[in-house]
Amino acid sequence: MKSFFRMSYPYILWIALFIVAPMIMILLYAVTRSGDGIITFRFTMENFTRFFSDPTFLKVLWTSLRIAFLTTVFCILIGYPAALFIAGLPEKRQTLMVLLLTLPMWINMLLKTYAWRGILMNFEDLGSEIKVFIGMVYDFLPYMIIQIHTAIAKLDPNLKTAAYDLGANPWKTFLKVTLPLSVPGIISGITLVFLPAVSSFVIPKLLGGGNYVLIGNLIETYFLVAGDWNFGSAISLIMALIIIASMYLTRKMDRSGKEK
Amino acid sequence: MKKTVTALVLVLVMGLLPLMGLAEAFDPKEFEGATLNVYNWGEYVDMNVIRDFEKEYNVRVNYKTYESNEYLWLQLKSGDAWDIIVPSDYMIERLIGAGMLQPLDKSIVTNLDQLTEGVKNMPFDPDNTYSAPYFWQSVGIVYDTTKIPEEEMEAQGWDAYHNADYAGHVYMYDSSRDAFMMAEKALGYSANTTDPAEIEAATEWLRTMHSTLKPSYVTDEVIDSMAQGMKWMAMVYSGDGAYILSENEDMAYCQPKQGTNIAVDAMVIPANAANPKLANVFIQYMLGYDACMANSLEVGYASPNAEVLAELSGPGGEYEGNAAYMPRSGYELDELYVDLPGDWQAKQPDLWAKIMAE
Repeated sequence: MKSFFRMSYPYILWIALFIVAPMIMILLYAVTRSGDGIITFRFTMENFTRFFSDPTFLKVLWTSLRIAFLTTVFCILIGYPAALFIAGLPEKRQTLMVLLLTLPMWINMLLKTYAWRGILMNFEDLGSEIKVFIGMVYDFLPYMIIQIHTAIAKLDPNLKTAAYDLGANPWKTFLKVTLPLSVPGIISGITLVFLPAVSSFVIPKLLGGGNYVLIGNLIETYFLVAGDWNFGSAISLIMALIIIASMYLTRKMDRSGKEK
Repeated sequence: MKKTVTALVLVLVMGLLPLMGLAEAFDPKEFEGATLNVYNWGEYVDMNVIRDFEKEYNVRVNYKTYESNEYLWLQLKSGDAWDIIVPSDYMIERLIGAGMLQPLDKSIVTNLDQLTEGVKNMPFDPDNTYSAPYFWQSVGIVYDTTKIPEEEMEAQGWDAYHNADYAGHVYMYDSSRDAFMMAEKALGYSANTTDPAEIEAATEWLRTMHSTLKPSYVTDEVIDSMAQGMKWMAMVYSGDGAYILSENEDMAYCQPKQGTNIAVDAMVIPANAANPKLANVFIQYMLGYDACMANSLEVGYASPNAEVLAELSGPGGEYEGNAAYMPRSGYELDELYVDLPGDWQAKQPDLWAKIMAE
């Protein structure tokens, strides 16, 4: 047992160097002013008050959350039936279908987004929000389907047989057996879709036709154009807190579902 | 033991190499196997020129690109080392002021005498001590003459960006410095103003533009989109304009009557360059007739080389009659950018980001 624990040292080192240390640096930048030294810095909350006192920033934050939420909902609505369908196929075909699903993920995301840009250019009437939305749902859908499919495929087929045996019709069986038991799959799907969607900035930049600013674009601007790392870090930190909060909420939903 | 000796010998030889280089005058063999790190704007070179340079001197050029002066500045500040960079005028001014450049070796860079008058001895570097011009340009408006007649556009200049008739058919370049330049020129101010009242008015001007025109904010993708005639007008750099005009004959180029920005991008050698001598050789090569001709033909920006410029814009030249190729020179209201004081460098992008997100 102990030797196994030792094998995780490289991983712990990796986390410390590339995840914990950068997070601490973001935190330090967020609560200081530019020009402060590492040792002589003074604590300030002004980066946060600046963000929350400006209606433009709040609007951008709200748009980001809304589009990420809608993307997730649509991914579930499209993804769940698809996953259900795949899980109902013979085993060999299931493997093939999952392979086909993951196939687009081998292609670089940037390339796919450019392709969408070319397609959507022919539809001038679509608003930029719809275009961004189409791109996001397309890009994140496979993650949702695979998570749900894994959860459904794991279910013991005897459960269904038992439900039929006790007089439940297919619809009732789905509602009372399959759906509740596949909730963990939906939850991990939400985690995999909502989190990257809320911070995505390439898709809105390329598909939004340049008049669609999300929080990821703001962070990019303040880091790369304005060179204001302190404010950029503060926005990143606000984002991180929102993500942690939503993760906590979805986990909690999962647990309360189990208790029932 | 044997290994230690080998390592010691290696270290000694490597330490001596640069000294051997200094001892003799520069000859083409000298740089064999060396690597030159070049950092330039995107879509700004004929790669064959780079390949030829590699072949001629038997070196490898590590060629990378960036999108903005500000991004370049941040990278240099964080310690990145390049042998050649190609910033614009105001950024060169800032780099010189910060002591981050080294002077050109004029015994190698003799091609400076081939420069055209329009780019020589600019105020940001009066004797071309540090910089060798690479391309020069104006900022203007490319527009579709089938949608906006020429007289209408010339009469409006920058005011076209307040004309509600064009709503939904407009591209705007996503660059805070150029956006504020447009607003300040439209209002009759200097493009280098730091007067709070004037900045306030310019911000308001841009807000009106944003709400009445609903422009699409773009960067390099504007080149292909306008060549395909996707929208009616776009703010562009003249070199991109020259390319668009040569691809689509409905397009025309307007240098606004209210004045605009004239910009010079120039090759400089950072103080921390690993290979300054080869960098000087590279600059000399890029200023020559062949390299200038190939580059200007490929990307459409105005060449700093007097002979190339005359040939390309003259009778029978590739850009004869192309209004966007040759930047306007000597117009009183046109201005070069100067480096804004420190707090403004972050203030303009901040204001601009909020206007775009409104």
